[in-house]
Amino acid sequence: MKKNFEKFKQALYGNTQFKVGLVMLAILLFIALFAGVLSPYDPYKLSEDLLVSPSSSHPLGTDNLGRDLLSMLFYGAKVSLLVGTISALIAAVIGTLLGGVAGFFGGKVDMIFGGFINIFMMMPTFFLILIVVALFGSGMLKVMIVIGLTSWVGNAKLMRAQALSIKERTYIKSAESIGESKLKILFRHIIPNGIFPIIANTTMGVASAILTESSLAFLGLGDPNIISWGQIIQNGKSYLLTGWWICVFAGLAIIYTVITFYLLGDGINRILSPKLRSR
Amino acid sequence: MKSYLGKRIVTAVLCVFLALLFNFIIIHAAPGNPIRILAGTDSVNEEMIAELTQKYGLDQPAYIQFFRYVGNLFKGDMGVSIYTGQPVADEIISKLGPTLLLCLTSSIIALILGTLLGIFCARHVGSALDSFLGSISYLFDSTPSFWLGLMLILVFASTLHLFPTAGMFNVRQNAEGFARVVDVLYHLVLPSTALSLTLIPYYFRIARTSVIQVGNEDFITTLRGAGMREDRIYRKYVFRNAILPVVTVFGIQLAYIVSGSAIVEIVFSWPGMGSYMMTAISRRDYPTLMGIYLVISISVAVMMIVVDVVYTYLDPRISRSEGK
Repeated sequence: MKKNFEKFKQALYGNTQFKVGLVMLAILLFIALFAGVLSPYDPYKLSEDLLVSPSSSHPLGTDNLGRDLLSMLFYGAKVSLLVGTISALIAAVIGTLLGGVAGFFGGKVDMIFGGFINIFMMMPTFFLILIVVALFGSGMLKVMIVIGLTSWVGNAKLMRAQALSIKERTYIKSAESIGESKLKILFRHIIPNGIFPIIANTTMGVASAILTESSLAFLGLGDPNIISWGQIIQNGKSYLLTGWWICVFAGLAIIYTVITFYLLGDGINRILSPKLRSR
Repeated sequence: MKSYLGKRIVTAVLCVFLALLFNFIIIHAAPGNPIRILAGTDSVNEEMIAELTQKYGLDQPAYIQFFRYVGNLFKGDMGVSIYTGQPVADEIISKLGPTLLLCLTSSIIALILGTLLGIFCARHVGSALDSFLGSISYLFDSTPSFWLGLMLILVFASTLHLFPTAGMFNVRQNAEGFARVVDVLYHLVLPSTALSLTLIPYYFRIARTSVIQVGNEDFITTLRGAGMREDRIYRKYVFRNAILPVVTVFGIQLAYIVSGSAIVEIVFSWPGMGSYMMTAISRRDYPTLMGIYLVISISVAVMMIVVDVVYTYLDPRISRSEGK
């Protein structure tokens, strides 16, 4: 496990996508962490400078309520990262557990868990998320949980396949023969050794969770009390002509963040599958 | 093959049933009473509320409501919209047309363009154009479709006045016959561009990877060694093998596109399922929500089975191993 990890780390540093993604992520994290210091204005403060186009006093202009767009985008970075990461982590935990149990225990357990995974795979989840958020209210925590609860299927499938192959290896057989309990084998050996594809997938999952969150906010179903990029676009779409900068820059912020996580995830993926490595 | 198909159908039916149950539970656990919304805010008396509640069967226990709903489904009855009073099935059918038009147009454009670009890049791996298109595909993959739609509106409708900003036809003109077809196509350009641009990266990547993979297989090397011309190798052997994953992705993507297109529909006020769904949500129109969700989960389930069948048909290797 440790040796594997070292090799993995070595390979990561040699991968361009991953390196670019890492730099982009560092910038993003810096902005999110120091949003309060970096922002030229309080993003919640209304002013009389309505729809001011980008200028030296407002680098990215202001919105229809006179709020400084750059500051809003800085604060939005926090929300996007938080929602993306937590939703993806929830999905990772659920997927790993369900997939691991299904693959490792096999037989009837697999029939039930695997069947459940297959059935859930066919659920149109975006509509499910929409309905839940629309009917139950849209606090940020709720949004994160709902996205997490509906996006674990990919992880579960990967982990199940991993468990199926790992459980045939000799060291698992020997652990079984010296009488280690099944659960211990699952958590000590199967999951740690099979986790790499899940890590790659979860990194990509952050990107899609951010996209989902921004779609929800764009539909007016985001948390109304916090600033998020999707919400900025939703608000700015009525001012597409008089204040094009609102939608344009908020969208670019989303794209930047999503690309960051795609690059990281893709980088990890390429390293994991040697077939892709040369390309 | 037969038993495999049977298994898939059972899974599909179970999935649709569970989706329905999920949806039912969510809707019924939600705060907010549709009858109150329906009755409006002024001059509401309790008698009226009770009467309406009874009329829509909302006074019954939840499980009875559910089984009654499922029972009615078998009779082809999806209930009536609480808001408009029209049968849900009729309303959905009237919204399905525009959605299918938008989705199919965009998917087919994306399939053709994406696959062609993918094949081209696979034959010129490492070229400047290959890396350029690779980066562009990343970019569009990361772009929210609603934002892309807004940008198209900003540039091509609001600024250049080339295309209409919203809707499916010019209401004032109300054209007939051929003129109407042209009008609809004219309105279709921007939404379908937005949707296909977000779909092209999938096809591009799958086609590229698949062609490269097949191109590196032993039998291709053998053909090359035997002196067959490169063009002929690709046309006769590589493409035929490489097209399988593309077909699968097309099917899977079609299954999900109705929900994927919803947000683009809303941006362009396209009168399809997406806009309909949002209205139903804001009105808390439960029967309509159930109906939309049912139609979408059935279409996903059916498409998945179709993909499986088509795949086995296209790739004889699979049907042989399944037949054992």
